[in-house]
Amino acid sequence: MSLADGDSSVVVQLRQIHKTFGSNHVLKGIELDVERGQHIVIFGPSGSGKSTLLRTMNLLEEPDSGSVRFEGREFGPGMPGEKPASRGKPRVLRQQIGMVFQQFNLFPHLTALDNVALGLRRVTKVNRDEAELRSAESLHRVGLLDKIGSFPAQLSGGQQQRVAIARALVMEPKVMLFDEPTSALDPELVSEVLNAMRVLAESGMTMVVVTHEMGFARGVGDFNVFMDNGVIVEQGGREIFTEAREQRTRAFIDAVL
Amino acid sequence: MSVHLAQIEISWDFIFDNLPLFLDGVRITIFISLVAFGLAIVFGLVVALLRMSQSRILQPIMASYVNLFRAIPLLVFILFVYYGVAISFNLQVAAIQAGIFALTLQYSAWLGEIFRGGIQAVPHGQREAALSVGMGRVQTFLTVVLPQATRIVIPPTGNMFIGMIKDSSLVYLIGVPELLRVSNRLANRTFRYFEVYLTTVLIYLVLTTAVYFGVKYLESRFALVDLLNTKARAFSPFARRRTAHLREIQETVRASSGSTSASVGDVPQDLTDGESLAPRRPGSVREKGS
Repeated sequence: MSLADGDSSVVVQLRQIHKTFGSNHVLKGIELDVERGQHIVIFGPSGSGKSTLLRTMNLLEEPDSGSVRFEGREFGPGMPGEKPASRGKPRVLRQQIGMVFQQFNLFPHLTALDNVALGLRRVTKVNRDEAELRSAESLHRVGLLDKIGSFPAQLSGGQQQRVAIARALVMEPKVMLFDEPTSALDPELVSEVLNAMRVLAESGMTMVVVTHEMGFARGVGDFNVFMDNGVIVEQGGREIFTEAREQRTRAFIDAVL
Repeated sequence: MSVHLAQIEISWDFIFDNLPLFLDGVRITIFISLVAFGLAIVFGLVVALLRMSQSRILQPIMASYVNLFRAIPLLVFILFVYYGVAISFNLQVAAIQAGIFALTLQYSAWLGEIFRGGIQAVPHGQREAALSVGMGRVQTFLTVVLPQATRIVIPPTGNMFIGMIKDSSLVYLIGVPELLRVSNRLANRTFRYFEVYLTTVLIYLVLTTAVYFGVKYLESRFALVDLLNTKARAFSPFARRRTAHLREIQETVRASSGSTSASVGDVPQDLTDGESLAPRRPGSVREKGS
């Protein structure tokens, strides 16, 4: 069916993803491959379906139909009109895919350390001492070892988002999803989060990022996807920012740059 | 010891002499309030969860339950349960049991609404964040949603408990010898209405004030204190141990990462050099931890 079938470098493979909210058809047959080590940037106007697309990758949003394969295993509802023979549990998928949200979504009743450790303790059943040590390491990686005892309300937005990154990283995911990670931040706090993401990208992490930060997209995104109105209008390397083929892409880039 | 107030002669000795009588009543008042409220919390949680369920059968049943019990005056309901049902149908039910039953049913309707509000006040993003690390729905509810909802509902639940102590006085009408009934009997026997009812008022005041301070304590107990950056740790041995443990973790991580800088400020230097995000040496720190 496609070049990517059986290709072990493809981690996440989306085929014919359809999603409607009421009468609103937000994803119209999306096809996308995420390769190991790739840094994909998804951009486009608001309401274009980019966040929904990202959220179908870890099934926080269940597509109406379509194939969501992770390392070859089917987790989605299947292609239109056919049911997959076997379908993996969303929990199994989510353990291997980290996600960072626009609103951070840290647990306000837990310290930074416990925010990070919760998944290790509850999902992978790591004992408390080890979970805390690994979580502190993860927080150290994002420069927040000093804040392990702080609660989210005592942290700046940028620090909260870095805790959220540490919380996802500690599960040792194979792919990291970022859903507009800097959109809720004050302008002066954006760079610390982008820096953390940049370093993460350099370490070889596979990343899919929905963002309006075009500077970041141009610097880090080695595969860029422009979405509008529920379809992928254009995709390609960094040349997309300078020589887009589609009029809609050019118009959007001109408008935001 | 007596004081003349207009034509009334107020005798405090009379109060002290009858204190054991009052205390018997207080004991029953507290018993009724605690048992009925404890049961109401359990049933209230069930009501809240069923009301939020997707079920097309349970959901409307629970909504009707809540609306029904909120609509009936408590006193009427208590009389109905005891005289209307228990006595009329010759059920082997003591007055105190009927009273607790009536209070429980009404309060679980109110508490169910409070709990539902508390659970629904936890933002949806919290559930998503928990699910996104691979947690299940029940785990997510118990470790992420419920603790946050609990904090939200503590103050209104405390108000309800104060209400319960006051409303427990209504069961005196079905003959339960709680504080108000004891007071009533004493006043009718001795005609010392002022002293008796003043004492009753003061006792209720003491009880509800105690609950008020209990709720304040609970709220402070749930306060989110940064143990590494406040002095609150001095107050509790648990907090001191936890602080020491956190410092130990920090030291271990610093030592194993080979970083000599003791602090990383708001500007994360170690993020820009690309070193600290490099893949970890396998097992280096974990061995020390185990």
